[in-house]
Amino acid sequence: MSLFWIAIRQLAEIEEQMATSKKVITREEWEKRLNDIKIRKEDMNKLVMNFLVTEGYVEAAEKFRIESGAEPDIDLATITDRMAVKRAVQCGNVEDAIEKVNDLNPEILDTNPQLFFHLQQQRLIELIRNGKVEEALEFAQEELAPRGEENQSFLEELERTVSLLAFEDVSNCPVGELLDISQRLKTANEVNAAILTSQSHEKDPKLPSLLKMLIWAQNQLDEKAAYPRINDLSNATLEDPAV
Amino acid sequence: MPSATVNSRRPIELLSRLASDEPEVKVRALREVKNQIIGNRTKKLSFLKLGAVPAVAGILADSADDVMDSNCDNNNVNNILVQSATVLGSFACGFDAGVQAVLDAGAFLNLLRLLSNSNEKVVDAGARALRMIYQSKLAPKYDFLQRKNMEFLISLLNSENENVSGLGASIITHSCKTSLEQKALFDAGILRKLDSLLEGGSLSQRDASLESIAAIFKNNPEVISKFAGPEIGRPLSSVIDLVKDRYPRTRLLACMCLIVIRNTSPHFLQDLGIKTTLIHILLELLDDPGQVGYEAPFAFSSLIAQREDIQKLALEANAIDKLHHHLQKGPLHPRHYEGILLALADMCSKLESCRSKFLSLQVLNLVTDALTDNSADVRTAACICLKSVTRSIKVAALGAICNVVVDFTTRKSIFIQCGGIKQLVELAKSMESAVRSNALWALKNFVFLADNRLKEDVFSELTASMLSSLICDPEPCVQEQALALVRNLVDGYINSIEFVFAEDGLILGAIGRQLQSSSKAEIGIQGMYALCNVASGNEFHKEAVMHQLFPQTGDKNQSYMIKFLLSNDSQLRTATVWTIVNLTCPSSPGASGRLEKLRNAGIVSQLKNMVNDSCVDVKLRVRTVLGQSMGFGDN
Repeated sequence: MSLFWIAIRQLAEIEEQMATSKKVITREEWEKRLNDIKIRKEDMNKLVMNFLVTEGYVEAAEKFRIESGAEPDIDLATITDRMAVKRAVQCGNVEDAIEKVNDLNPEILDTNPQLFFHLQQQRLIELIRNGKVEEALEFAQEELAPRGEENQSFLEELERTVSLLAFEDVSNCPVGELLDISQRLKTANEVNAAILTSQSHEKDPKLPSLLKMLIWAQNQLDEKAAYPRINDLSNATLEDPAV
Repeated sequence: MPSATVNSRRPIELLSRLASDEPEVKVRALREVKNQIIGNRTKKLSFLKLGAVPAVAGILADSADDVMDSNCDNNNVNNILVQSATVLGSFACGFDAGVQAVLDAGAFLNLLRLLSNSNEKVVDAGARALRMIYQSKLAPKYDFLQRKNMEFLISLLNSENENVSGLGASIITHSCKTSLEQKALFDAGILRKLDSLLEGGSLSQRDASLESIAAIFKNNPEVISKFAGPEIGRPLSSVIDLVKDRYPRTRLLACMCLIVIRNTSPHFLQDLGIKTTLIHILLELLDDPGQVGYEAPFAFSSLIAQREDIQKLALEANAIDKLHHHLQKGPLHPRHYEGILLALADMCSKLESCRSKFLSLQVLNLVTDALTDNSADVRTAACICLKSVTRSIKVAALGAICNVVVDFTTRKSIFIQCGGIKQLVELAKSMESAVRSNALWALKNFVFLADNRLKEDVFSELTASMLSSLICDPEPCVQEQALALVRNLVDGYINSIEFVFAEDGLILGAIGRQLQSSSKAEIGIQGMYALCNVASGNEFHKEAVMHQLFPQTGDKNQSYMIKFLLSNDSQLRTATVWTIVNLTCPSSPGASGRLEKLRNAGIVSQLKNMVNDSCVDVKLRVRTVLGQSMGFGDN
């Protein structure tokens, strides 16, 4: 039985247990109850498809659709475009990413000043990372300064970013974390979310929420009973209750 | 890459490449312009100034014609159409100057033509651009009453293409104004169509529908009742559900739609639950970053305006605390600032409990800061807010106002513009003495070191007769403030002294009478300083003061001056001696005559007893007088 099934059944069982007031539940009892819970395959497939689509695994989604019959809720072609944008940012090719987003939907950057600012900010960071100081200065003046003028709330971040130019050893300065890969990922996720929203798709997959719900529910039930818990989400094994 | 590429991307360079005959060069240039202007208001402005919009509109026009020509390479033509329409759409996006330029360049009709193109991407680009135009007030008015137009609109709404149906909704939101138009749209079945978009449409379709529905319902109870029918439930329930949607903008638009319905037909949505939900959702939306957060307070205002019951609910939901919290988080976007201030004004417009809450949280300081903001809208909103709060007769409010008006000239003139003086003068007529006294206190601060024009404004509003009767007010605290006000009025510029002589010296006489009869030191102090300031003027002024100090009718020869000089209160002694200093100032011709009078009244000998007064000020000024008197050959 897949880990997924186990986790979902666990969750359903806990919710049932909350209603009663048993103190200790043995593994035998627990597993018996788990087996009684019915989960539909179609629902599982939808969750998997939702995960693959939101995270952008196009080929996997395509294959899964063929093998399971589950239909994605958005056009898989748009996933490819979206992933191309995300990858471009992750590789530091921000200009390329901007062009792609504008081809996909010109309204996104026109109506999202914060996102646009972060993309411009990333461009500056990349120029600095590549040692192109003069170009960076020119860019900061021509492209970033106006953002600060247009919107005061950007000023603080703007100053932080521009201050990178003041340091000889950029990797060891107070704002050095801007040069981290994590900054690229942050920007990439922001763009990804904006594209998903513009396509009326939720930007977060459902699966993580489900697992979070499981953890929370277990914590709640802990106060009332001792029962077999799933402590390791990656293998979803039931661990015996403490006696 | 270095300069070569950078230069070829400069706006002027790009514009010249737009004019190229080669389609590929044109397309590349269009894409470059597009990528430079999207999201970048500054670039849009600079391209605009270089005449980019007519250039691109021209390309659109030519290519739209080319579509008809079967010899043309469709691919290239379509590319050009898509890129040029997208560029124009971006110029029009949230940028009125851009919208105007696009309309002036005659691009509107060509964009419309794109809607019937066979290529989906071309249709998309055209519809988007038109939608951007219709989000601006500058868009051309759509005439719904013509059948052809209504049919076209219906075809737009029925389209599978999101951008096209969204355009239909935008047109309604923009152009539907009169009840005739609203009825026409209703009769054409548009509302049902919009409602179906609410249920089954995409995010942008739902948002667009909410706005359109609100436009059709606004101020039209007939349409609302027809649509909602006896079973209020169904169509409205879709809107009600959307109030709790996951997307903030949808929630805001749903709230706004319900508010329109409620304000038009108050008997709908009476449910307490709905009112509370609306309040909570809107207060929550205040936190949203960006446009939604900026517009939320305006929606909140429209919910609570003139409605005491809802204001009360909002107070219980801690609305004032939340609004206050936002004011504290500076710096604020001007639109956000304006909205919050107006929301506070509406909250405090009727209920005393709200005003008390406002004052107890010390929000007043933050609001008065807004009086000097760069944005005129913010300043106006701050004044409206202050006006709303000061409707209270609570003394505390006035006390706070007093501290406001001591300040700089800019704040003072704004205060006047908002009718602040008129209001304070009104309050000075109040039945409650505490209110009168505080109003005068505020006015006193207002004229402190003010320029003559400001003083004249205050004086003409107050009038001499009102001021003199306030000086003789039954309550000592009011008398004191009135005298202090006069003191500040006549201080400074010599012309200001004339105020006390208005209407046959009404005020001067009142001062004299009050000093005569009062036993309180505070009144003596203010009155004496007022006379002191008058005595700093010319001969005429000094003689007039003498007349007050030594009234002709006197069986009691002893002037109250002696009483004051003998007072335990050092301030009173100081004020009195200063007055004598001014009266006996040697540079004035009548000084010796006045000194004689003072001596005859026993004042000079009293002063001699005070050469070692415990108060330094008194001591020094006494010696000044005695020194001055020596100059007249005495002692």
